[in-house]
Amino acid sequence: MDSGILTRPATGSAGIARGERVKPYRTPAQKANVRNLIFLAVIVMVVCACYLLVNAYPDKPQLFRYVLSLRIPTLAVMLIAAFAIGGASIIFQSIINNRIVTPCLLGMNSMYTLVHTAVVFVVGSGSIVATNSNVSFAVDLVVMGIAATFVYSYLFRKTGNNVLYVLLIGTVLSSFFGSIQSTMIRVMDPNEYDTLLTTLVADFNNVNSEVILFSLLLIAALVIFLRKELQLLDVITLGKDQAVNLGVDYDRTVRRLMLGVVLCIAVATAMVGPISFLGLIIANLARQLLRTHKHSHLILGAALMGMLAIIAGQLISQHVFSYAVPISTFITIGGGIYFLYLLLFKKGGI
Amino acid sequence: MKITNLKKKYDGKTVVDSVSFTIPRGKVLSLIGPNGAGKSTVMGMISRLIARDAGDIHFEDKDLSHWNSKELAKKLAILTQHNNVQMKLTVRELVAFGRFPYSGSRLTAEDVRMIDKAIAYMELQEFEDRFIDELSGGQRQRAYIAMVIAQDTEYVLLDEPTNNLDIYHASNMMRTVRRLCDELGKTVILVLHEINYAAFYSDYICAFVDGKIAKFEKVEDVINKETLSEIYKVDFEIIHINGKPLSVYY
Repeated sequence: MDSGILTRPATGSAGIARGERVKPYRTPAQKANVRNLIFLAVIVMVVCACYLLVNAYPDKPQLFRYVLSLRIPTLAVMLIAAFAIGGASIIFQSIINNRIVTPCLLGMNSMYTLVHTAVVFVVGSGSIVATNSNVSFAVDLVVMGIAATFVYSYLFRKTGNNVLYVLLIGTVLSSFFGSIQSTMIRVMDPNEYDTLLTTLVADFNNVNSEVILFSLLLIAALVIFLRKELQLLDVITLGKDQAVNLGVDYDRTVRRLMLGVVLCIAVATAMVGPISFLGLIIANLARQLLRTHKHSHLILGAALMGMLAIIAGQLISQHVFSYAVPISTFITIGGGIYFLYLLLFKKGGI
Repeated sequence: MKITNLKKKYDGKTVVDSVSFTIPRGKVLSLIGPNGAGKSTVMGMISRLIARDAGDIHFEDKDLSHWNSKELAKKLAILTQHNNVQMKLTVRELVAFGRFPYSGSRLTAEDVRMIDKAIAYMELQEFEDRFIDELSGGQRQRAYIAMVIAQDTEYVLLDEPTNNLDIYHASNMMRTVRRLCDELGKTVILVLHEINYAAFYSDYICAFVDGKIAKFEKVEDVINKETLSEIYKVDFEIIHINGKPLSVYY
């Protein structure tokens, strides 16, 4: 066996000819993945077009313009939410090294529910905090962002970066928030409760364009802020020992990524309501379609799956059930069935 | 690599106490000892996976803690037993991770050549596009060793590499360890439970008892009746095969 290249004097490692990049090696499976991603992107575009144009009265220009002015913001909200939730779920699963977890387990949904209930409970459903969607978005985002950042950074430090502990505490916090919320509901005026209930269900309509722009900027900022950590995700997947062996500052990377996950979920939830359960479905669909560890592919795949699921769900909710059944019903039912399928038939494998 | 006065406590219980030794370059060194003697912890501290409470680990010209983690990854590789990858990862992709300290995730022509070499060295060509989780335990272990070879470090640390392998794969693994040292000139440090693998395949043995070094000598000076009985509190008989001492215990 010729071992000349493998053996190198201890001082020689700096002397490699650098710079000559080669075309990345792609396995047959990876080539198929690129094809699948393109195919998925085309489907998403078709569904987007359907969403904008179905029953849009293209023969009546004024009506057509009005319909579009309503649908384009909703479409933007769906796309942003899908990207935030899909990306956050994939990252979260890769950190925990388990594909049946979702960022839901951190208790962000119950936190959102609690914040909304508390607002209505304290200042009433007629107050500007509850009625103006800009203000209520700001309140949600600030409260959830700060609370989550503080709680989870603290938990990470306290538990010595033990992700499973944080997950366990998140589950406990989730019931804790839930109990406080149900206590408030019990003593609440029934009319107030009625108004409250509509905001506790995920909804893609009636989001202000300021909110959309702000969310978009925030998510873009997060991606830029975490660009280095995102590139390390593939290595993080190998587990702590291997990541450290390969020279990655594991604890810091995971802490920053978790912060990104929490903030992404906060943005998406503040924008449309408690919907992060969707992440479980779309992340797994992406992993099933793209049998790879490459996170650039997985995140894109999950985002596209999310867009497909949400927009298709919205189409059905809008045109088949004429808004009688909210989209979150589909998500919860579909997600529940898919979750059972994963547990029963996939045995946690991929 | 020179280790002085290494200490580690878990919940007030001292697991590694004033351990000092120098790792001989270009040799195979096995760390042996009963369960809980602290050998894996020492290995973890040498490889920066576990933080130490006190002591110095002098590596090349400076203390291990002053090394840039990425630069260190080009000099020292560790393979632990916890390699449970849940993701879809092919053998070739895994081996390519060995080049991460050099080029990140964008491979150069040099990297590709090193990966090919490593795969060929471990005779994994026919599996290179198979997923890691579809391989047998022995094949998976070989893939991880190939990754370590691609990492191209002078020091290779292996934590119980024969664990969960049958006799056939375990002895193959030990022969690979010997080849890493003899053919590729690497310094290999192993944690082993099998005394006879340590006796047959290593140059030096460092025996731990209760967090302290009981004996650090050449193989022949450790593998004898008195020393082993003292370390393991079990009766031993020593026989010689091919000029190497082997222990019999029951």
